Parts: sequence; structure tokens; C-alpha cells
Amino acid sequence: MRSGDARREILHAIRTNLESSPPVQSSPSPERRGGQGVRTPEGRGGQEVRIKRFTEQLAAVGAQCTTVRSETEAAAALARILADAGARRVVGSDAPLVQRILAAVGNDIVIDRLERLSRDELFACDAGVTTAQWGIADTGTLVLESARERSRLLSLVPPIHVAVLSVRCICESLGDALARLSVASPGRSPSGASHAITFITGPSRTSDIELTLVVGVHGPQTVHVLLMEEP
Amino acid sequence: MTFERDARTALADGQLRGALRQATTLFGERRRAALATVPDWEGARDRARAIKDETLEHLDRYLEEFAANAERAGACVHWARDAAAACDIIGGIAERRGARTVVKSKSMASEEIHLNAALARRGIEAVETDLGEYIVQLAGETPSHIVVPAIHKTKAQIAALFADKLGIAPSDDVATLAAAARDALRRRFAEADLGISGVNFAVAETGTILILENEGNARMTTSLPHTHVALMGIEKVIPRFADLDVFLQLLPRSGTGQVLTAYQSLITGTKRRAEDEGPEELHIVLLDNGRSRMLASRVTRQALACIRCGACLNACPVYRQIGGHAYGSVYPGPIGAVLSPQLFGLARSAALPYASSLCGACRDVCPVKIDIPALLLHLRAQVVAEGVAVGKGHLRERLAFWIYAAVMVRPRLFAWLMRAVRSLRIMPPLGAWTKWRDLRPLAPRSFREQWRAGLGDQRGPDA
Repeated sequence: MRSGDARREILHAIRTNLESSPPVQSSPSPERRGGQGVRTPEGRGGQEVRIKRFTEQLAAVGAQCTTVRSETEAAAALARILADAGARRVVGSDAPLVQRILAAVGNDIVIDRLERLSRDELFACDAGVTTAQWGIADTGTLVLESARERSRLLSLVPPIHVAVLSVRCICESLGDALARLSVASPGRSPSGASHAITFITGPSRTSDIELTLVVGVHGPQTVHVLLMEEP
Repeated sequence: MTFERDARTALADGQLRGALRQATTLFGERRRAALATVPDWEGARDRARAIKDETLEHLDRYLEEFAANAERAGACVHWARDAAAACDIIGGIAERRGARTVVKSKSMASEEIHLNAALARRGIEAVETDLGEYIVQLAGETPSHIVVPAIHKTKAQIAALFADKLGIAPSDDVATLAAAARDALRRRFAEADLGISGVNFAVAETGTILILENEGNARMTTSLPHTHVALMGIEKVIPRFADLDVFLQLLPRSGTGQVLTAYQSLITGTKRRAEDEGPEELHIVLLDNGRSRMLASRVTRQALACIRCGACLNACPVYRQIGGHAYGSVYPGPIGAVLSPQLFGLARSAALPYASSLCGACRDVCPVKIDIPALLLHLRAQVVAEGVAVGKGHLRERLAFWIYAAVMVRPRLFAWLMRAVRSLRIMPPLGAWTKWRDLRPLAPRSFREQWRAGLGDQRGPDA
């Protein structure tokens, strides 16, 4: 097969060329590899410190945030967000929490489920509601995992993305979040692995025309986090 | 030489130089501010470089590990020796899927192999979806900056272009222009059969590819069509998933001065269950195209550590004046001046190693500490050794250095010549220098003469 030949040729070229230069003496020691050591969520400060940093960073990257204490409060906050934006068609992910919150939102709004939508209908939606599996305090980032929820398109296509995140899932740093992810490699974690993981830091943005910032070019213009405080 | 001619054209373009000055200055400032948020920037650079060095030292092993893990997760891995092979593979996939339109997110490697032209020859339309790339494609031009491809165009030019090609009312409001592009491209996303993306990092340990972006077009490209093709140079692989941490700290800060870009997509194979979202097929094309050759020397190998942030472009006093087009290569600026001759042949890019003042600003900002000035000197030596002609001054230059060397090792000859030059008031021809600068008049007595006459005995006030 031609592809197999190319593979052999490339690997051969790599080995031959590597052999023609002397090997390096100092290889990095294992503890210096990768990032800094992974800290526990309780790392530098307590949960309070992480929540404060997370919300500050969300504001810095242009995302909105509302703290809620129950699903009822979440539904009320969501209804307000949608009404303020004039959103009429809203789609929720398959996460049970999202379904419960959407069921409690008032009835002026057309609520749909992703699996019932055609691609054109999805493109016509005003808002997508999902959960986020992790938050990153250092950067104001949301982390969405495909194995946990169908959130890949709902967090991207509609102009408004509302994400529900539990305060208990806020990691301190990017390194902490990477250490918590289960990547879909069967050899490593056979079940519950995600083939698509998305890090979201604020709304979609571009500065491609005269370096002028425009928010919401292909992805959402608005990212709103409902930060759920749990007792 | 094309470089000299194109650089001159660029220098005469006041609008281009204004835009370049604005962009490179802004990115430089943002970068400096973003670095301040990392407690140990130097340590991060060292770590990243060590990871890249380790990977390159065992590139065969890590590539095989990556390919095996990606395939286990459901991806189909292809190996392409050169540009033609990569275009064939991707064209073949598109034809097999019956694709008439493909959407593309930004990929330097796809520019390198001239993929769009190759697809067009098969009757397949490739639509660039990054706003800057889209503008450049509509205008029938090429990108002038790695990070901001359309930096050379004003909003008035873009407004006229959109009015012509998209049929919108002329507007110089940037948000309106972006919205027009968004609408036009949404239709393309909805109908596209195939999405083509680049890859920023490929993790050997898990078979994961990672793509960074700000607009969301790469997410669209990699999640909406049935088939996703990811094109990557073989040097993009890194050993471990945890290694992503340090590279994600370095790349956005160095490139756009952001702490993190808006989106990172980490894709590991294809969807697991029927109800999962995302493409049914993922094809990963591993491109050599001259890269394995660069492993042969420790000096040239460094350039394979590049993570394509563009910081060296923004810092380079040459790039800041002439922009990307003058380099005549997909990869402009200091990193382009060292990559292009190695990837595309010295004969085609012999002028590029000389397109530098060797000031070292590129080396200072490089997040993986590539010693670009050393590489430039290495390539200059190669240009001379291989006798690749660089302009008509080449022979004259050799003669001049031969005479210089002969004079400098003979002190009496040197002194005599200096006296002759001073008394006759003649200067050797310095055309390139004196064309733009006035030569200072010669001192009536040389320093050595003044020294001998007692200059050395004069003491400063504090002696």
C-alpha cells in the first residue's frame, strides 16, 4: 500500500537524519517534564478564593456571571437573561440539570431539544443552554466534555451560550484542569472518555479588521455562566 | 532578486507600513503585559524547549505512538512525504466523500502545500473561514502575517471588497463587516461536506490533536461536517497530555498577548456512540515535506521547535518595515527566513537569510528559545558554500573580504594605506551604505597617531 510506503519512508528519513547528529547529553529529568506539579483544587487558597478569581477572570474576558443557590433560582436567572436578550428559541442539552432548569423557565419561550433539530433549525436558535464540567479560576475558562453531555454545538452555534457550573468544579489552573480530564484513549481510561473537549474563555472574538475587536464572529456573542452554589 | 524588489515595493507603501507599525507595536505591548502574569516565564520557556528537544530527539518513536493512539481512538492516520502527496491524500478523501465544498480553518501547513489550488484542480471549492483568511481569499491575495492575515488591508478596502463580492451595502463599520462575513460563512458551514483544519499540538500519549483559535470557525470546521481532515507537520507532536500546560501558557501570550485564546478544541479520534456530536470520520495527515531533513543538524533542528506564534515577526525590525509578502514565502519574518530555505530549497530563498540585521530580537521573544540569528548565519554559510548566487555583489564581496584580510594581518601595510586614504581623501566605494546615509568626514589624524602623540598620557579629572 502506498500509504504504508510513505510511513516507512518518513520514519526511515527521520532515523537516518537523527543518526547523523550526535545525541544530546542532557535530557530533561522526569520531574521537570510537563507542567508544574498538579495542585489539588484546595491548592493555593480555599474555594472562596478560587470562586472570586474565577468570576474576576470571567469579567476580564467579557463573559457574564450570575451566582444562583438553587435550580429555581437558576431558572429565574435564565428567564431574565433570555428576556433581556430577546431570545425566543432556546435549545437545551441532554444534561438532566439543564432539562430541569429549562422546564422551570416561563412559557413565553420556545424550548427545544437538540436531538429534534435539523441543522438549519439549530442555526436559527437564539440561545443554547448547557452545563460545564469544569471551570478554571486562573483564566476564567469553561471546560466542556463530550462524554458527559451533548454540548459541542449548543455552546457554539447560537449567539447566546448559557452554561451552568457548580462552584465545586472550579479548578485553580489550566494544569489542574488538564489533570482532571479523561481523554478518549482506550488504553488509558476505557469508559467515560471524551473524544471532544472544548475550552471556552469568553465570547468568540476577532481583531482581523484593522485590529478592531469584534465579539461574536462565528461563535456566541454572549457567554453567561450560572454559577451554582451548592449547600 | 525578488526579495529586494518586493521589499522596496513594500517600503514605498505608506499605508502598509502604518498598518504594520500599529499591529506589531500593539502585539508587542500586549505580549509584554501577558508575560507579566506568568510567575516564571523563563522557566516555562526552558521547559517547553526541553520538551521539544526531547520529542525531536525521538521523533520517530513519538510519531508512531501518536499514530497508534489516534487510530485506536478511531482516527485514520495518513503519512505524506511531500506537498504533492498530502494534496493527493486530501483530494482523494474529498472525492471519496463526494465533497464539492470544503470549509477550512487556518492552517499554515495547508498554505505550505498550496492545498486550495490542488483542490480547485479537482473541481472542489475550499472556503477559508477565519475572517482574515476569508478576506485575503476573497481578494485573491495571500496572508501577510501569521496571526493577522489581512493586516495589510484597511477597513475601507475590505468594505469595498465585501460590497463587490457579498453584495452588501458599503459600510466602514467593522462590526457590520464581521457580521456580513459571519452570515456568508454560516451558509457555507451548513452545507459543507468536509472540514479541513490545522493542528497546534498532537499528543503522542493519547492521540489527541489540539487546535487554538478565537473566532469559533475552527470549532465549526471540526464539528459540523461529516468528515474532518486535520493536516499537521510531523514536528507538531509532543509526548504527554500534561505537556499541553506549558505550551498553552506560552503560545497565546506570545502570539496575541492573550492569557488564553477563546477556544481550545481537544479532539481524540471520532465519536463513540451514534448520538455523540461530531464528524464520523477523522483523517490526520502527517506531513514531512523537508522536515525530517532538518533533523540532521543540531542547528537546523531547532527550527522544528517553532510553535508558530508569530512573536518573532512582531519583534523583527525588518518585518516591521516590509511585512510578510516581501519574503515571498508562506512563512515570513525571522522564522520564515530560516524555515523557507530549509523547506523549499536554498536556491529559491537564498536572499532570506540575509533579510536580517542579526539584532537578536527574535531570539529574545521566542517562547521556545530558537536561536534564529545562529540559524541565519548557518544558512548564510551554506549559501556561500554551495555557491548559490545572491545578487551581483557576490564576487565583489569575496574580493573585498580577501583584500581586507590581507591588509589586516599586515600592520605596516594597514598604516600606510590609512595615511594614503587620509591624505588623498578617497574612500572605498560603499554604495549601499552611502545611498541612504551621509559619510562623516575623515579625521585629519588617526587615533593611532593621536595616541602616539600623547593622547594616552592625558588623565581624566578623577585620576
